[in-house]
Amino acid sequence: MNESTLFLITFILYIVAAFFYFTYLFSKKDNLAKSGYTFAFAGLIVHTAALLLRTVESGHAPFTNMYESLSFLAWSAIFAYVLIEGKFKIKKAGPYFMLIVIGLMALASSPLMPKEATPLVPALQSYWLWLHVSVTLLGEAFFAVGFVTSIMYLVADSKEKKGMDVKSSLTAEKLDSISYRTIAIGFPLFTLGGLVFGMVWAYKAWGTYWSWDPKETWSLITWFVFALYLHTRVVMGWKGRRSALIAIIGFLAALFTYFGVNYLLAGLHSYA
Amino acid sequence: MKSFLSFFSSVKLAIFLLIFITVASILGTLIPQQRSPGEYLDRYGDIANFLIRLEFTKLYQSWWFISLLFLFAVNILVCTLTRLSPKLRKAFQPKFETEKKKLLSLKTTASFKKNQNLEKTIPDVQKMLSSKHFRLKTDQNENTAFLLARKRVLGLFGSDIVHLGLLIIIIGGIISGLGGFRTSLNISEGETIPVPQADFKLRLDKFVTEYHPNGSVRDWKSTLTVLEDGSDVLSKTIEVNHPLSYKGSVFYQSSYGWDWKNPTVEIWAKKTNDPDFLKKFELGVGEKAQLVEENIEIAVINFVPDFIIGENNEIATRSLDPNNPAAYIEGWQEGKKVFSSWIFAKFPDFGRMHSDIETDLSFEFKDLKAAQYSGIQMAQDPGVNFIWVGCTLLMLGLFVAFFWPTREIKIILEESQNKTDVTAGGIAAKNREDFQSEFDNIMKSLRR
Repeated sequence: MNESTLFLITFILYIVAAFFYFTYLFSKKDNLAKSGYTFAFAGLIVHTAALLLRTVESGHAPFTNMYESLSFLAWSAIFAYVLIEGKFKIKKAGPYFMLIVIGLMALASSPLMPKEATPLVPALQSYWLWLHVSVTLLGEAFFAVGFVTSIMYLVADSKEKKGMDVKSSLTAEKLDSISYRTIAIGFPLFTLGGLVFGMVWAYKAWGTYWSWDPKETWSLITWFVFALYLHTRVVMGWKGRRSALIAIIGFLAALFTYFGVNYLLAGLHSYA
Repeated sequence: MKSFLSFFSSVKLAIFLLIFITVASILGTLIPQQRSPGEYLDRYGDIANFLIRLEFTKLYQSWWFISLLFLFAVNILVCTLTRLSPKLRKAFQPKFETEKKKLLSLKTTASFKKNQNLEKTIPDVQKMLSSKHFRLKTDQNENTAFLLARKRVLGLFGSDIVHLGLLIIIIGGIISGLGGFRTSLNISEGETIPVPQADFKLRLDKFVTEYHPNGSVRDWKSTLTVLEDGSDVLSKTIEVNHPLSYKGSVFYQSSYGWDWKNPTVEIWAKKTNDPDFLKKFELGVGEKAQLVEENIEIAVINFVPDFIIGENNEIATRSLDPNNPAAYIEGWQEGKKVFSSWIFAKFPDFGRMHSDIETDLSFEFKDLKAAQYSGIQMAQDPGVNFIWVGCTLLMLGLFVAFFWPTREIKIILEESQNKTDVTAGGIAAKNREDFQSEFDNIMKSLRR
């Protein structure tokens, strides 16, 4: 059993999970959502094995090129989702969230992403690679959950406003609160991994903790957007629509930090 | 002063500044920073001068961006301080609630009767709350008692700790910007150089490059020795991610290269009439060697790594890389120059010897070696410790703010006819759903 086989099995499990979640969405049978959750969980376990095997085979952290990093982001996303669904019972978010995960897995398996493990350049040989990347991506995974629940909020809110009878225990108000609590987990993680660990590592490797490199700047921009989210919400009492919009913008900023910066803006982070 | 305070204590200003700084930061990633004016002219045409004048081309160091950051810092400071004293009062001078009505107007409430008198009820309630890690204050009259139970009071100050951390980070950033110094040093093996802006010297003892099996570089290692007043103080082998730190200067392995300006040139002397004749020399620029039998002294006078003839027929080098290495040699006999020639490593037939004497000697530029130098980035950053303190406070504050929510339960116990009326109200600023269920559980077991 090699890493790419495990990766493929994971991918299939996620697709099956998405299938069950979608059938749940249309038939409203709770058992189907439960099956979706079970397959997602099984996928998470096989995915963990795949990442461990990758680490053993390559001898370094499993996120040093785009393929590895996408696979790890998908893992973090499922991890975050399994936790949040378990805690807040948001199985209705399952189908949409699984779409994001499948998108990440599909991108990772696309032929554009070189898959072979290459030896690390000197700058990446540091335990800070583990700390910096894993914690940051985990934080971003929670932002992704908050993104999905915020969009669901907007939909639920407009339905409720139109007076449509939504036979769901997952009310707009509840979605709003779940978004907040998800971001409340993602924000400290992102701050720790992306900004603090990033600064420590930058200082160790380059002798400067901050150099306004595009990736650094975009992490800061993402951080600012979520800081805005928290302050408008906690101090100014913004809730609902405006709050959800800021959460969506925040996730898009995080996504741009992760993807866009690599392809559109050049800088020190050119290797990942 | 008052209007100054009210201006800077407004959260609206904070939000406005946050948006402004975010938009400016985005602009800075879209406009390439710190390039030459010519590049901007090519890229932006007419508006290039406008961008340069408004310092959009070095945005993060511009007066207006730094002013925004400064305003933001003042805003954070004033906002935090003006909100601090009510919080301190709440934390250190908590009040009992004596009116049932007020308790019942809270979001989380309970009221029930207990079939036992006040004397028995008080310790029951106290025990229950203590077991849930609440700290208690009790005030007892004849037939009423007031209880105040709180835990995680630090949670009130999470955002203040975050803001304090941020301010310290901003101060550290200013100190780094004003007092920081960075430069790169190229040192060859065996060389000792004075460290700029410091009172010690640095010697490179050894420099090695390690490779992966596939030929890519695994690591560069420089063994450095710090010298003070001519004697060795300490030695350390640095590599990427493992710098050397001494007296506020930090030395980072950052690059490597070869010193092609001063290589050692290998020259073979041959004779056209004597195929067995071969003499080899390895000479640096300015060094000499003897051809004893011929009574000739040869010297390498000049060297260029990338030979080119410039506009005015002068010899120059196109680059610092050994693309077309050429050496200028001279031959001397009894104090008189007798021949000279440029010889080329890549074009052995190209050399033209200008000779004043009859000779069948010819010289070939066979090889060249250069000392490898280690590229070391040096940084002095007096602000960096502020950054780490600030980051620690920032993380601590975030943890406290999100995961250490203050919980407060106020209870009024009133005895009548050997029974006790229990009225309780709970206050939680965060995660109310969780608190509600904790509160309900506590009340449920108190009812029993």
